[in-house]
Formats: sequence, structure tokens, C-alpha cells
Amino acid sequence: MWGTAAWAAGILALLVLLPPAARKGFGEQLATHWNASGEPNGSQPLWAVVLVPAAIWIVLVAVAVFWRAARRWRGAVLVSCGVLLAGVQVSIVRANLSHTDWHDADPVTVGAVVTVVAAVAAGLVGVLMSGRRASSAARGQGPRMDIPAGERRVWLASTGNRWLYLLAAVIGVGASAAPLIGFGGPAAPMWLLTVPLLFASVSVLACSSVSVRVTERGMDVAFGPLGWPVRRWDAADIEWARAENRTPAQVGGWGYRLSGLGTTVMLRSGACLVVRAKGKDFAVSVDDAERGAALLNSLAGARTEQH
Amino acid sequence: MLLRLNIADNRPLHEQVAGAVRRAIAEGECGPGDRLPSARELSQALGVNANTVLRGLRALRDEGLLEFRRGRGVTVAGGADGRSALLERVRELVADGARLGYGRADLIEMIKEAQ
Repeated sequence: MWGTAAWAAGILALLVLLPPAARKGFGEQLATHWNASGEPNGSQPLWAVVLVPAAIWIVLVAVAVFWRAARRWRGAVLVSCGVLLAGVQVSIVRANLSHTDWHDADPVTVGAVVTVVAAVAAGLVGVLMSGRRASSAARGQGPRMDIPAGERRVWLASTGNRWLYLLAAVIGVGASAAPLIGFGGPAAPMWLLTVPLLFASVSVLACSSVSVRVTERGMDVAFGPLGWPVRRWDAADIEWARAENRTPAQVGGWGYRLSGLGTTVMLRSGACLVVRAKGKDFAVSVDDAERGAALLNSLAGARTEQH
Repeated sequence: MLLRLNIADNRPLHEQVAGAVRRAIAEGECGPGDRLPSARELSQALGVNANTVLRGLRALRDEGLLEFRRGRGVTVAGGADGRSALLERVRELVADGARLGYGRADLIEMIKEAQ
């Protein structure tokens, strides 16, 4: 947390203080844009050179800190964007130094290339660091349950979202109505509209309900009223499982969601069964998630003890 | 819902499935009016043929624990939780009786005499 704050403040100070510090070398306007052959073709006054990157940086930091779904990428984004903005600012100031007319400013090709390479490298380092921390911190978590000898246990749960059912139905009606009302005129082929709509309808329908099975083999998550498609996790691959409260706002909406928290099948807010396998998180919003997680942990634990 | 199956059980499979669901109802895993997972889902979870599962579920319907409704699948009948718990005890009673050499008729006599 303090590292993030120090980084944010340091970059901000550089962006704001560097141009005024070198003010004596500039004219009224500073070159801020260059064409492909390295000649300046755009300019801004000094105050804009100070404020625009500072404003971008403040908004970026605020989003990265307060948007919980993005927390996994926070470090990588802040490091690489900070390097990028600082590099751009340094290049602009350097190119404008001792040129009173912005048309005479030096080219920035070398600075731009160095900046982009440094930003990408910093971003990669950030991704690697955050990934490593996430996988080592949460090991051995989650509830367990005792399974008496001679007993086999399976856990079943399902949820549906009637609004997604309704949406799928509406899109489906739209798909079948499109050819009837002749949308797009007689010249346009009807399937151009019908096929994508049908596809959307089936996709929404598949995400509108989910049923989860935990057996000795592992976990199966079947989507849609037909129970297809199915995603499977082998018990041996599961590192841990636990229950966690999640809201649609956290994961970016309803249905099948990809976010900083991993994959979430969000059909209602509240308890979700969260599973980590092969370093990836998967969550599904079902009731009684605590016991599902406990059974999964116990089965996965029993497997690893046997081997 | 959590289903418990006895591995050492040597009863026919459909009776084991019925037993697991009966126990789940008795222990409040699913209450009256709740929808049971579909027969196909149960068969996949338990690793048992779907027809075997259906046979078990039909037996529970005949005991008055489940209701089969068109379009709504299989639901737990009203008051099934208490009845299920009682039925489970009756089964144990019959099993214990058989072990000790008392037939059903003997048990019925005993129940009639019990006040």
C-alpha cells in the first residue's frame, strides 16, 4: 500500500515539477507532437504540458486503487503507465530545451522508443510479481469436512437467474421475428441478423442457470437448462476451495464474467464457491457454497495424501 | 444438497439411491416444496444409471416423500421431512428385527402391543 502511494506521488511530482523547473529554456508554446519523420507538428502551452499528464495519472491511480475487480493488475498497470507518462514528459522537456520556438524542437524518436520498451518491460515485471504473490498467499485455505470411512459423499447445487432467462427469450423472439418483418430490406440476406441473434440468445440462455456437482472425481459445472456445456475440474488439480461473498459490481455484471478475481459465474449476489486449480480462480454463485468447498477440499486432500 | 452413500451397503443400487435421498430429506438437506436435482444430474453425480435413479425416486414417490410434477420435475412432498425420518427408523427396525430373528409379522404384533 505504501509502495503504491510512494510510486503514485513520485510520478506525479515528476510530471508536475519537471516542466516548470526547465522553464527558462522554453518559449510560450512547447512542441508536444511529432510526425513520423521527427518534425514537431503540434504544440501546447506550459500549463497544459503540466496538467494533462498529471490529470491522466491521477485518474489512473484512482481507478486502479478503487476498482476492486482490477486489483490483480494494479501493480502492473501502475508501474508501466507511470514509466510511460514519465518517459513521455522527460522526452518532451528534453526536446524543447533551449528552443524558444516550438517548431525548432528536437526529434523525440529515441526517447519514445526507450520509453515504450521500458514501459512494456516494467509492465511484464509487474505482472510476474503480482501473479507470484497471488498464488503463494492463499495456499491451504478453506474449510474441510470429515468423511466417515465407508461413506461416499456428493454435493449438488444449482442456481438460475430469471432475468437472464427472460433476456434470452426476448433475443430469441427477436431472432425469429427479424425475418418475418423483413428487417434490412429484401436485398440483405436475413441470416445476417438472425444467426447472430440466435447465437446471442443461446449464449445468454447457457449462462442463465448453472448446476454444480462435487464428486470424488472433482467438480463439474454444467451450464444452461440442458446441462451443456460442462466445465470439469479434476480433484487432483484443485489447490483449494472456499466460500466467498461476491457482488455483480465486483466482477463486472451478471453471467459468465472475467475480471481481476478470475472467472466468475454470477447469477445472484452473495455466497460463491471459489476454486483455485492450476493457478486460476473460478467462482460460481451457488447456495450452501461453504459445504461444497469443504467437501472439495477434503476430497482433494484425501487424494494428495494417498499419492 | 449433500448426499451420503454407504459404500459397504450390499442392497440393490436403486434402494441405495432411495436411501441417500430419504436421508437427505430427513436431515433437512432439502425441505418440502424444494426441487430435487434432475434424475440425469443425480445419475451423473452418483455414477449410477439414470433408470436406476428413477426407480429409486419412484419408490420414494410411492412412500409419499416425493411428488412428480410435469414441467416442475421432482419436488419434496409436504411433511416429507418428518415422515422420511420416521421411515428411516422403521427401516432400521426391520433390519434389526431380521438380524435378531423377528419377521415383519412379529414386528407388527409388537407395534400393536406397544402403547
